[in-house]
Order: sequence, then C-alpha cells, then structure tokens
Amino acid sequence: MDVKKEKELRDAEAMEQKNILITSVDKFLNWGRVHSFWPVSFGLACCAIEMASTGDPRYDISRFGYEYFQASPRNADLMIVAGTLTRKMAPIARRIYDQMAEPKWVIAMGNCACAGGPFADSYAVVPGADSIVPVDVYVPGCPPRPESLLFGMLQLKQKVQNPAKARLIKHGK
Amino acid sequence: MVSDVLRARVGELAARVYGEVEECLGVLELTVNYPDAIAALTGAKNFAEVPCDFLHDLCGMDLGDHLEVVYQLSSLRGPQRLRIVARVERDNPMIDSATHIWKGADFLEREAFDMFGIKFSGHPNLKRIYMWDDFEGYPMRKDYVIESHEQRAVMRVRKEGE
Repeated sequence: MDVKKEKELRDAEAMEQKNILITSVDKFLNWGRVHSFWPVSFGLACCAIEMASTGDPRYDISRFGYEYFQASPRNADLMIVAGTLTRKMAPIARRIYDQMAEPKWVIAMGNCACAGGPFADSYAVVPGADSIVPVDVYVPGCPPRPESLLFGMLQLKQKVQNPAKARLIKHGK
Repeated sequence: MVSDVLRARVGELAARVYGEVEECLGVLELTVNYPDAIAALTGAKNFAEVPCDFLHDLCGMDLGDHLEVVYQLSSLRGPQRLRIVARVERDNPMIDSATHIWKGADFLEREAFDMFGIKFSGHPNLKRIYMWDDFEGYPMRKDYVIESHEQRAVMRVRKEGE
C-alpha cells in the first residue's frame, strides 16, 4: 500500500484505540476470514475472463488463498460481480447473494458492475450492481487488469481486518 | 461482383412477386410487400443454378412510417448472396413465419418479435427471447423511450419458469 495510505491508517489506528476495542477472538476470526475469501463463481460477462486469468499462474490469486471459486453460494463468502448485470439477471443475482451465509462481502468488478459502464443508459441493464446487492469494494476498469482485481481484494482484506479504520479513512474528497 | 445468372434469376423472381431489385453494398436486394415474402423466400431457395438455400440472418428494421423484415440469404454451396426486404405495416405488423422453410428462423423471428413487435403467424413458439416475458414495449423501435435510471435500478419480481 502506498505511503499516504499507510499514514492515514496509522492516524486512524490511533483514533481507533480511543474508540473501539476489537477483542482478540475477533482478531483471530478476521485473520482466518481475510486470508481465505472464497468467491462464488459469478462471472457474468467479459470481466469473468479477467477474473479467470487472475486465477491463472501469471497473476495467481492462489498466493493469497482466494483461489477456491465455489460453485455453490452456500459455501462461499465473497461474491465478485464480474460483468454487466442485466435487469433479467438482477433477481437471480440477489437470490445468489441471499443464499450466501454471513459473513459475506461483495466486490463490484468492472465498470458495468460499478455504475452500468458503457451500457448505463441501456433498456436492459441495471446501472450498477449496488442497487441490487450491497457492495464493499468497487474495482473500476473495462475490464480491470488482474492486478487491479488483486488490489481490490487486498483492499477488502484491509477493510475486514480493520473495520473501524475503514470507516474513519476519508476516501477521495 | 454479382454473377449474371443470379441477377437473371432474381429479375425473374422479382417479376413473379411484384418486387423491386436494386444492388446495395455489393449484394442484390429484393424489396417485396409482406404478403409475398414467403413466395420470394421459397423462390430464392429453389433457384436453378444458384440456390440461396442458407438463411444467414433475419432481422427487423424500423423506418419511421413502416417496419421491415430483412432476410439475408447466402449459400453453403456457392458464392451467391441475396437480401430480401419485406415491408411490414407499422400499425399491425404481421408477416408469415419462415420456420417451415428454415428451422433456424425460429429464434431469429423471436428476436424480431421481441425487439420490434413484428408478429410471425405460424411460428411454433412466438414469445420474447431477450427481455423477460412481461416486459412492455419493443426496445428497438425508434419511438421507444428508455426508462429512467431510478426505474431501471429497481429489481423486478421474477416469475417462475422464465
């Protein structure tokens, strides 16, 4: 992570220690969760190809522990919405999300899942997956490079490990 | 580079089905009215030396005051290509289905129905193919108004069996 972010995190940590106490049990559970986000395979369109190539040996999602793409949402804890969410698919996406067990997180991968992308004004597209499922991390790009998706997953890791800090960091302006 | 044999055959067919022939983008184009569309298609499929027996594509078009169904014909046995354009009324768009000539027209006609509202009589299963079954409106028509961001961001209730 870059230097500015590190400084922000340190300031937030100092603030956190005054406000919130994470118990050591929570810390241990978060350590387990964060080193094994198992995504449910929810590749909808072209971003699915980039998600697959993130799992390939060159960009290797496995070195973080995230390589086990689950076929069933009941076994997964992360939903990467990779691709255009059409209005016909929206109830199914919600159903998959509802079938996952807590704790669960969502990454919106690609411009289409973030805000509709090139098809934002289409009659058939939901402009952004965040009106259907609650998104934790947005990874922009068309498609985002595998390194971008990995950065997004590491951001999610930071968010889960330090929930208070993630709330306190000012994102952008 | 349209061969003379094909040009002659299309000319004969045009006389039979009261159509007009012109050459557009290197391909002969035969424009007919919707009652004669099936006759034109069967005629083209049964041309003597240059049968256009492969339905390459079928699509709808909206030209403001009327709709059109465009059949792109080609052949796996020769270089011949033909485009047949059938004019369809806008108020009650009906045309006979080509499924008994080519089975592949099935899904293509469903797409034309879904996007333009053109009804194909004699089609075995004419229902929407891209949009969901209860969708109102025909999106590819020029006068279709796309719903606002707020309306599209709402998740609809899904019917069983869609």
